[in-house]
Amino acid sequence: MTRPIRKIMVYVDGSEQSITAAQYAIVLAKTLGADLYALYVVDTRALAELVNSRIFLESEQEEYRRDLDGDASRYLNHVRELARRKGVPVAAEKASGAVHVEIKAKVASLGVDLLVLGEISQIRSRRDELYNETERAMRTAQCPVLVAKGEDKIWDLYESLE
Amino acid sequence: MALIDLIEESVVRVPLAAVGKDAAIRELVDTLVSAGKILDAETAYRAVLDREAKGSTALEEGIAVPHGKTLAARELTIAIGISAAGVEFGSMDGKPTRLFFLLLAPPDKAGPHIEALAEIARMSRSKAFCASLAACRTPSEVVRLLKDE
Repeated sequence: MTRPIRKIMVYVDGSEQSITAAQYAIVLAKTLGADLYALYVVDTRALAELVNSRIFLESEQEEYRRDLDGDASRYLNHVRELARRKGVPVAAEKASGAVHVEIKAKVASLGVDLLVLGEISQIRSRRDELYNETERAMRTAQCPVLVAKGEDKIWDLYESLE
Repeated sequence: MALIDLIEESVVRVPLAAVGKDAAIRELVDTLVSAGKILDAETAYRAVLDREAKGSTALEEGIAVPHGKTLAARELTIAIGISAAGVEFGSMDGKPTRLFFLLLAPPDKAGPHIEALAEIARMSRSKAFCASLAACRTPSEVVRLLKDE
């Protein structure tokens, strides 16, 4: 039987929950000897939505797009550093578009065996369920999905990783 | 982070007393200062005014979404204001604005800022929901309505 988890991908959106997910993905990759990928998606669909609703000006859309690109680089670098400290190679990638669509596409193109996501905000309404991007990624990705809960436990696991 | 996680009674101003645009923004910023969400009211106020100077964030149907990036906010934060009489805010349909969502975020938190604004954009499409929100008379009614939605 081949190893069931050879490629792990973690989705990073800059939230504390996604950084915890990255730490857990690093622990899993090292323990299982799996390849690790990290993905950040610049949510251009939300930007377009804000222009359409006239909350954003066209010029503002471009400004925030640059900000999001900067966030993406910063958080992916942070994940690279977290992985480097534990001697785990990571391929960090930036995409743009609708978040759950890009995650699903990357899972397929890389042949990811396990998608690791940060803890999902409490779903309080049907609207949340429909629009929460992490929730949507969990529902639409065509591979097993792990939601990394328990920040303290994960921190301990990460810190104790040789 | 979901928008709802940012909303508590201390960031809701009902009724909004201001009758002018700048005063309404000031009142909402001061609400955030009183709630301990931001430290420097003047910097936050200027950030929102600078954005408004480029074009009004008042939409149709009495809703406005003034926002800005500022170091005065340590985290993404929101204030909600409801004006009984309405405020002339430069809306597209010329109607006075009654429902305000003021968002402030530090410059390095573009992701959560965009996510929260998009959530408000979606909420604003429901005329019935916005009418219910605008009819609230107390901060607790606003919080209850948003959290029960």
